[in-house]
Amino acid sequence: MFDTLKIVFSDIRYSLLAILIFTIMLVGLLLLSEFIFIEPFVAGHIPQGTELGFILIVILSSMSALVLPMNFYRIKILKNSKKKIGGSVFGSFIGAAAGACSCGPIGFAIISTFGSIGATSLGFLTSYELPIRFFAIILLAITYYTTIKSLRIECKINS
Amino acid sequence: MNKKVILSGIIIAIIVVGSIVAFSSNNPNMEGGRTHGTVSTEMGSPILGDPEAPITIVEFGDYQCHACYNWFHTHKPAVYDNYIATGKANLVFVDLAFLGRDSPIASQASYCAEDQGMYWQYHDLLYNSQEPQIDNGWANSERLKAFAFSLDLDTEKFDSCLDSGKYSKRVQYNISEAKKHGAKATPTFIIIGPNNQQEQFQGGQPYSTFKQIMDNMI
Repeated sequence: MFDTLKIVFSDIRYSLLAILIFTIMLVGLLLLSEFIFIEPFVAGHIPQGTELGFILIVILSSMSALVLPMNFYRIKILKNSKKKIGGSVFGSFIGAAAGACSCGPIGFAIISTFGSIGATSLGFLTSYELPIRFFAIILLAITYYTTIKSLRIECKINS
Repeated sequence: MNKKVILSGIIIAIIVVGSIVAFSSNNPNMEGGRTHGTVSTEMGSPILGDPEAPITIVEFGDYQCHACYNWFHTHKPAVYDNYIATGKANLVFVDLAFLGRDSPIASQASYCAEDQGMYWQYHDLLYNSQEPQIDNGWANSERLKAFAFSLDLDTEKFDSCLDSGKYSKRVQYNISEAKKHGAKATPTFIIIGPNNQQEQFQGGQPYSTFKQIMDNMI
C-alpha cells in the first residue's frame, strides 16, 4: 500500500495537488460550517457539541486530498479508465454539500431562489449533516481501497 | 351654509383620520419609531439590557438556525455578562425567519409571549428547546403553545394570539428590515456604537470578535 502511495506522491505535482485539495477543502468547509471566520477579523472556534463535525471535516479533506490525486495519476500516467474518479469526486462533493449549513449565505441564496423546494433540500442537508459526511468518508475509503488495488495490479502488469 | 361647511369639515376629518389609521395598519413603520443606527428595530424584540447603553447589538436570527443556537449557548453568555449586564451594551433581536415553515410561527409566538411580558424568557426557551432537524415539529403551533404553558403564560390569550396571526406582519417587517440591511445568513449582527458607527458581520462569531469591536467603540 505504501509503495503505491510512494509511486504517486513521489511526483511533486501530485503532492502539490494533494496539498492544494486539502487546503481548499479544509478552509472552505470550515468557513461554510462557521468554524472559522475571516470578517471582520480572522477568528476560529469549535462550539460545544460540534467537535465531531470538525473532526469529520478534517478526515474528509484528508481523504479527498489522498484519493483525488491518485485517480488523476491513474488517468494521466496509466491512461486508464475514468471510472473510479467518479466515486472520489462524488464523495468529496456530497461531503462538501453536507457542510453548506442552511443558516449560511449559500442556504439563504438557495431558499430565496428555489423557495420551499430549496428549503426542504437544505433542511435535509443540515439535519443529516453528520450521517452524510460519514457516508462521504466511507465512499472515499472504498474508492481509496479499490484505487490502491487497481494501481498495484496495473503497475505490475505495466512494469 | 354653516351647516354645509361643518358637515364638509367632519367628512374631510373622517377621511383623513381613516386614511391615517388604514395606512398605519398596513405599514408597521408608522406604529413606533425606534431605530438603532440605520436599523429600524421598532418591530423587533424588546431591548435586552439598559436602553441607554452606549452600544446596541442587533441580532438578525432564526429560531431554527443551528449557528444561532451555537452562538446563544457558546458566546452570548460572555457577551451578556461582560457588556449587557454591565450596562455597556444592549441587544435587540430582529427576526430573519427564513429556514422553514415553522420559523415565522416561532417568531410570532415570541411576540405573543411579549404581550404577557415574557419575551426574553420565551426566546431563551426556544433556543434551549431547538432540535437539530428543521421543521420536524419541535416548533410547530402545538409545541409553541406547550412552551407558553410551561412558562405559566395565560394560555387562552397566547393561543388566540398565535392562531389569529396577530404578529404575522410584524415578523414580515423584520425579515424585510434584515434583507434591507443585506443580511444573507443567520445570525447576522450589526453593532452600533455611541457615535452611530456601525459594524456588520455574519455568523455566530466568538466572543473575542464582539469584545474587539465593542472595546474599539467605547
